[in-house]
Amino acid sequence: MENDIEFQNVSFRYAGAEKDALRQIDIKIRPGEIVLVTGPAGSGKTTLCSCITGLVPHYHEGELTGQVIVRSHDTRRARIGGLASLVGMVFQDPDSQLVTSSVADEVAFGPENLGVPRPEINDRVTEALSATRLTGYDDREPHNLSGGEQQACAIAAIYAMHPEIYVMDEPLANLDPAGRLQVLQVLIDVAKQRNKTLVIVEHSLEEVLPLVDRVLVMNHGQIVRDGTVDEALAAGDIPRVFTRPAVVRLADKFGLGLKTFSAEKFYADLNDRKPMGILDLGEHPVSRRKVSSKPIIEIKDLHYSYQDRLDALKGVNLTIHEGEVVAILGRNGSGKTTLARHIIGLLQPTRGQVVVGGRDVAVTPTHELTQEIGFCFQNPNHQLVSFKVRDEMTFGLKAHNIDPSEFDQRVHRALELVDMLDVIDAEIFDLGKGQKQRLALASVLTLNPRILVIDEPTTGQDPQMTGQIFEIIKNLNDLGTTILMITHRVDYAAAYADRAVVLNRGEVSFDGPILKLITNLEVMKANALDLPDVTRLALQLRKHGVPAWTIQYEQLEQFIQSLMGEASHGD
Amino acid sequence: MAIEYQKGNAFLHRLDARTKLLLFVGMTVLAIVVVDPILMGLLFAALYFLGTNSIDRKLLNSNLRILIVIFLTFSIFQIIFFTSEDSHFLFYVIPSQNWIPVTVQGLVRGLAVFFRFFSVVLAVHLMLYTTPPVDLALTITKREQRRKFDAELTATIVLGAILFVIAHLTRAEDIQVLPFNLAARTLIVLLVSLIAAYVIQRIAGRGLPPEMGMALTLGFATVGLLSKQTEIIRDAQKARGYNLTPKNPIRRLQVLAALLLPIFLATLERSQDISVAILSRGFDYNIDARTYRRQLKFQTQDYVVLVVIVLLLFGGMYLNYLQIGDPTEQFVLNLLQR
Repeated sequence: MENDIEFQNVSFRYAGAEKDALRQIDIKIRPGEIVLVTGPAGSGKTTLCSCITGLVPHYHEGELTGQVIVRSHDTRRARIGGLASLVGMVFQDPDSQLVTSSVADEVAFGPENLGVPRPEINDRVTEALSATRLTGYDDREPHNLSGGEQQACAIAAIYAMHPEIYVMDEPLANLDPAGRLQVLQVLIDVAKQRNKTLVIVEHSLEEVLPLVDRVLVMNHGQIVRDGTVDEALAAGDIPRVFTRPAVVRLADKFGLGLKTFSAEKFYADLNDRKPMGILDLGEHPVSRRKVSSKPIIEIKDLHYSYQDRLDALKGVNLTIHEGEVVAILGRNGSGKTTLARHIIGLLQPTRGQVVVGGRDVAVTPTHELTQEIGFCFQNPNHQLVSFKVRDEMTFGLKAHNIDPSEFDQRVHRALELVDMLDVIDAEIFDLGKGQKQRLALASVLTLNPRILVIDEPTTGQDPQMTGQIFEIIKNLNDLGTTILMITHRVDYAAAYADRAVVLNRGEVSFDGPILKLITNLEVMKANALDLPDVTRLALQLRKHGVPAWTIQYEQLEQFIQSLMGEASHGD
Repeated sequence: MAIEYQKGNAFLHRLDARTKLLLFVGMTVLAIVVVDPILMGLLFAALYFLGTNSIDRKLLNSNLRILIVIFLTFSIFQIIFFTSEDSHFLFYVIPSQNWIPVTVQGLVRGLAVFFRFFSVVLAVHLMLYTTPPVDLALTITKREQRRKFDAELTATIVLGAILFVIAHLTRAEDIQVLPFNLAARTLIVLLVSLIAAYVIQRIAGRGLPPEMGMALTLGFATVGLLSKQTEIIRDAQKARGYNLTPKNPIRRLQVLAALLLPIFLATLERSQDISVAILSRGFDYNIDARTYRRQLKFQTQDYVVLVVIVLLLFGGMYLNYLQIGDPTEQFVLNLLQR
């Protein structure tokens, strides 16, 4: 059979770059294949996608060797527009790829470019909106949709062009668990219904692996593993490059089938193989450590409404104590960011009061509050204001009239914390997204804040980077900083935070120890919070005495080990 | 404050984008033709009434209020410096020096200037408030189908007739001078009008190339986004401890400069995002064969509005032709002479 996509010994180096972004890529993808491309940030995944769409070498200039053949067209000789009729690409950030002012216009844009007659365009728009579950959204403004809806709109826009090949660059990166599920379902429906080729770049393997045929793992611009899902999983982990989902790793360890993706299947298979005994671990503490009882942030009956929307916050009461690490959870649009913005005075309460470090936020200007509070935005691009790393680092110091003789020492210390001292003289636009995120954090740390408020610090980061950022947060907390973090990652929050606050439609629906939250299935489900894989498995093993709050992989491994061991003793 | 499209389904919203564009052009020409403050005031009131029917009065007022001062300044300039030879003198602003005379004509025309400017600005506001930017851009973009011959013919004849009448109303003396008899004179003027009409409608009918139309459309769609972006950047700077409202005016300038850089970069980044997005959705597939989902269609109400505009234009010119285009001025002068 002829191949849909063929890379023949392809290397590419961006103009001005010192290293190859792709090195000697040789792959063939057959029609109808669903291929997962994974690997750490900067490993060349996006460049690989750009080669298929022709953006490399036609838009992103550089040195391309070898041949990329898409449906018998050499991309070097084809135009991007021509390839666009064959290949539809959805980018990582949905907001940046939506260009018109209504959803229907957005979906019609591609077919219009292809010269599709008007009546057929309207049919295609209707069909694409229904396939992506956006029926009735025709006149909505793309930029006012939620992240999940925006991503669905971007997919609809491609779907309406009827491409043969779909290329998705981290389509789930900016979504909450509910949105991820929706988008993933849409993607698979689209590919399977029309029997199209799908190349999907993703980090969250546990969600995508069960749905794909083939896995490509990239590192440093090379393909380091290429095979069916079975083959890729059987070959084991590659440290810092490819870590299989926790359930798969455990299945491998205890000799179960490698395609064990769900906790339920794991438990059933394990049970089939060997009856398990019961662990007796006694009582376990739910809270890990004591914190001071001195309140540092007090939020009393906080109400807030945006002009054009209903109430975003409806009577939030919250007291944060010095030295706490609090995770703020909840689905997109539940009011998390709105709450965080009040703490630093970027929003003023419609009703109620916010007191930070003894100062009423309503009467204290933001620039004074920032002497005590560090605030990191979700998108680092919204926060960085300089060309050079060094200037960015001193921006806050200058704004606060810090003695310039202290600059060097403070900047070095902060960059050291985020492990970025080596780029102190770099230009900010040469940094990757993960580096920008850490730089944004470092620039805030130069002021030695007593309180750190972080909004989604791990959006679009690979697992290694996510782990690193949470480690930095933990270090800061050990040094005495109170941490308030908004995050979707329940697994990391459970590992690093003491306390969880769950917002639902502007109200606090849970406030307490995070280990209590993850065992409260009702609250978890009502807020579309995703249980960490390990915890899901622990819940299955509950009747055998495994504590439901188990969150560490190693912990669970030990529990299962002893369960299996006890069972064999019993035999 | 940016004038952004307000969703709605009122009379102005339902008009074709092209009608609203012509309404604006018509209003501009009217503001040149009509010199009488009361007539212009009536026109303004009618337009304002139409506007408040279609969009929020508060929003409209808040935007217009800022302009009152500017246009009043224009009026004062007109009143003070409009001194034609035969003006009816009233008094001096600085009597001791006999400086800056104020005349009847100056006052009346000064008042008219206020309404003339305001009407044009109001027409722009109404057009932008009630027309989706995409439609507006489409009106001036070359469309895929060649227009039919009969449509071109109708356009040429209608436009030719209008030009013919305008020629007679405004250039009557010049036409008289032509060394032919009445019939030949009329025929020549008609022929010239028709040729001019054909040329104008061909140029207007061609429209901008689609690339430019698309650039306009995307530009419109980005304006709202950029003001949001500005807000985000201001917040980011505040969150970094930057005082955005210092008392010292020099510091204020510095704050502005610090804001410009990230906004500039954000705009640059956005335009790159857009070019990647539209390229990968086939924008350069075959731009001349591009089709459009949106269809613009004239309805009865559009024709009514167009006829009213044309009648008003003719009416205004006709009054000027009869030399009774400034009844207010005449009336006041009569009063003073009595």
